[in-house]
Amino acid sequence: MTDSEPCSPAGAGGPAGDGDRRSPATAEFLADWRNAAYNCFSSGHKFCREVCPVMQVTRNESWSPTAFHANVVAMEQGELTVEDVAEDYVNCTGCGACELRCPNTLFTGDFYRFRTRTVDLVKRVRALAVESGVHQPGHRRWNELTEQRAHEPVLGDVPVSQEHVRDWAHGLGLPVGGETILFVDCEAAFHRTSVPRAVAQILRLAGVEFGLMGEQWCCGGPAAEMGYRDQARRFAEHNLADWRAGGVRRVLVLDPHDYVTFTEDYPAYFGDAYDVEIVLVVELLAKLIEDGTLTPTVPVPRTITYHDPCRLNKRKGVWQEPRRVLRAIPGLTFHDEDRVTQWSYCSGAGGGLPVERPELTARISGSRMDRAAALEVDTLVSACPWSERPLAEAGRARSIDVVDIHELLAESLGIEVGGSTGR
Amino acid sequence: MTTSTVTTPRVPDGVLGALVDVLGGEHVLTSRTARFNRARVPAPFPVHRWRERVPDLVVLPGTAEEVAEVVRIANAHGVPIVPRDGGTGLTDGAVPERGGIVVDVKRMNEVKEIDLENRTCTVGTGISMLKLNEVLAGHGLIYPDNPASYPCSLVGGRIGTSGWSLIGARYGHTRDLVLSFELVLPTGRVIRVGDGGGRKVSKSSSGYQLKHLFMGHQGTLGIATEATLKLYPKPEAEFSPFWAFADFDSAHRCVQRLAHAGVATFAGAVLFDERKVEYLRRDDEAYIPQPADVRALVCAVAYGNEDEVRAGGTRLMRVARAAGARYLGDEISQGDWAARHDRYATPLHGRTRSGQVAPMSWHCEDAAVNWTELPAVRREWHAIVDRLRGRFDVFDDWGMFFYTSADTGVDYLTEIDVGIWEQELDDEAWAAWVAAKRDIAAVALRHGGSISACHGACREGEVDLVPLELGGGYDVMLDIKRALDPRGVMNPGKYGLDRAYGPSPAEPEGGV
Repeated sequence: MTDSEPCSPAGAGGPAGDGDRRSPATAEFLADWRNAAYNCFSSGHKFCREVCPVMQVTRNESWSPTAFHANVVAMEQGELTVEDVAEDYVNCTGCGACELRCPNTLFTGDFYRFRTRTVDLVKRVRALAVESGVHQPGHRRWNELTEQRAHEPVLGDVPVSQEHVRDWAHGLGLPVGGETILFVDCEAAFHRTSVPRAVAQILRLAGVEFGLMGEQWCCGGPAAEMGYRDQARRFAEHNLADWRAGGVRRVLVLDPHDYVTFTEDYPAYFGDAYDVEIVLVVELLAKLIEDGTLTPTVPVPRTITYHDPCRLNKRKGVWQEPRRVLRAIPGLTFHDEDRVTQWSYCSGAGGGLPVERPELTARISGSRMDRAAALEVDTLVSACPWSERPLAEAGRARSIDVVDIHELLAESLGIEVGGSTGR
Repeated sequence: MTTSTVTTPRVPDGVLGALVDVLGGEHVLTSRTARFNRARVPAPFPVHRWRERVPDLVVLPGTAEEVAEVVRIANAHGVPIVPRDGGTGLTDGAVPERGGIVVDVKRMNEVKEIDLENRTCTVGTGISMLKLNEVLAGHGLIYPDNPASYPCSLVGGRIGTSGWSLIGARYGHTRDLVLSFELVLPTGRVIRVGDGGGRKVSKSSSGYQLKHLFMGHQGTLGIATEATLKLYPKPEAEFSPFWAFADFDSAHRCVQRLAHAGVATFAGAVLFDERKVEYLRRDDEAYIPQPADVRALVCAVAYGNEDEVRAGGTRLMRVARAAGARYLGDEISQGDWAARHDRYATPLHGRTRSGQVAPMSWHCEDAAVNWTELPAVRREWHAIVDRLRGRFDVFDDWGMFFYTSADTGVDYLTEIDVGIWEQELDDEAWAAWVAAKRDIAAVALRHGGSISACHGACREGEVDLVPLELGGGYDVMLDIKRALDPRGVMNPGKYGLDRAYGPSPAEPEGGV
């Protein structure tokens, strides 16, 4: 249907003469993003603002999804450069709420056959900045350390390394390798080790056969989010090569961030050759409960609410399965908050924000925990290890415990989880 | 190393330092991105002229006292101040025309009090109605100020523009719903205005009625910092029937019968003209397909207690049927109202004359017009836009809507929606657009209406006719402006108010 393709304006290259000043990388970026940016700019209906977690706590509209698009229009006009804009793009958790709330996504997406893609835009501008030599100090340091250690420096000064990446599994006697492996993200592997321990023991109880990865590196997703594309790609290539060498067909993923990386970034890198099945553990567990393989029986006397992790609820549309798991656990009083209401909630832990702006992450998680406190709960359950550190921090001030859904299920299955919850 | 560019603002020496002393460095923004993004509103403007509207710096105050200090500093140095709330207005109230300081009030978004006994709440003006109603819902209450920009416009902007509400026929518009507010005058003095002096009084005859004066001034008379609002019970029921007609004239007759019916839960009616239906059918994917013989539509909406809405709805259905309306069924009625009202769908693309799709901004020109004049205004407005489109292939006529403003059918918010391909908008096309806007406003005045029911009338084009519309009232505006803003710092360049200061407006120092 040729007539539904937008025409390309004559001035596509921007004002005359400006092309000379622009680097080829900037010119390529503008060619890719100019129409998408203009679709947001021309709408001006800033419905994204009040759901954006950063905007909600800072009230600074320079750090809103619509500003991130408008800047591209201004760059095309020769009014702004990548040096002008780079720092603003730190202020995004990559949660995706703005995309869901965008009037363009709601309707015109069907027409143009694309949706508003703020998360991709932010990643793209960060990459352009990095590739233009404009670095954010925290992001740069984080990725340098990740490069050195093959894992994210989640323990601060305590080094993380290959010889410790399986320490969380101490005493569980898990095999290495096999057709199905469990991939454990850096935060869970080194910081909140109770989560992978809970997952591993539940899966074993259910009779699911799996092993640990041969030489597991960071998934590369965080580097991609912060704009370090080459590094992200190298990590992905390592992991895929490791899977192939070990005959891995299926990867179990407990972390929503990994899930996005493996189901969106890796296919984009490797195309059709990428034939590994990615399974989100919480979805698998909901299935195992439904078919009677797992039956939680130990009552857990807590009053809870569930935090929809952004990357599950907003990015991947996964919100039913975690609730099914929770509803199967006896003893819980569940004050649920609607998943659409939760579009405007976030822990603040995503997209490299806590690396560069920890104080903003703390304000966002504080605001999230205020919502939980209003429901008069004693526990907030999350399904994302990355969210749990800042949420737990904010929970302490409000006497609300933060528990991972896998830990909670394990408890109800009578499993002594062990490991550290970081508390 | 971070290399974000921070440019030195063009404000006089001492201003930046004084602002930082009052607000802290974190809340004084000088970066190019901060400034460019405060020059934007949804109203179209040639992108290549964006830089003309960029402020020198932006402040994010947290209290009325901080706003007052900023205003005092600006006064002392003769630097322009531009208040910015949601920045969703269509008449450029929040756009800096002379540089200066943008005072962005979004941080002042606190719900300060909910008075359940007297059914009021008091809020900072940086809060949106959507966020406020999330809080009020817990009490079974609603603040029913409901513009198309409901999810993102802010209470303060509603005051500064004297906003129009889609359901105003039932609940009143912003001027009726705001009981009182705190205001920083152009000199920095802080006052409270309402009906009389009481914060929560809905009707007073004490003194001049200043509340109306300080609403709809587009930021030229001060900055609202706190407002006390009237609350209603959250409606139990909504009824939004859509009816089809074979032509505009029969739809036009029907809409007024609905308005005349005197149904207490009637919250408004909307008439879609033939060009609007054609456009929606052609390009709006949210439009639910209807038979080809449907050429005009009327939608009515009722809110309230369930038993009352049910009874009122029955009467509205009877009235419409008697007027020859064909009910379109529940799916279209509920779906289309939800799409247009809750999600505010507009297609955001139009077509060139050859039928090629182009990304276009939606812009609507509005006026307040009496029901009897609607057919003539409609004909003349479409003719103006047709001529414009004939000359420049960057404009597209997206049809007209007519909304009841009151519960009696006295006048209608009349709007013509025009798609504008801003990426291609050169100076010549822009000049033609400005002239067309002036012509559109002139038609409304010739037919005894007002230039704007909703947006304000201070954009290039129609603003030229404001003295004609207001007559001697405009001279009073000039006197008031001069008296309240002796240095002319508050949002200069708007509404032709430079005239208040003599033939050549006072040049602020510092060459902004």
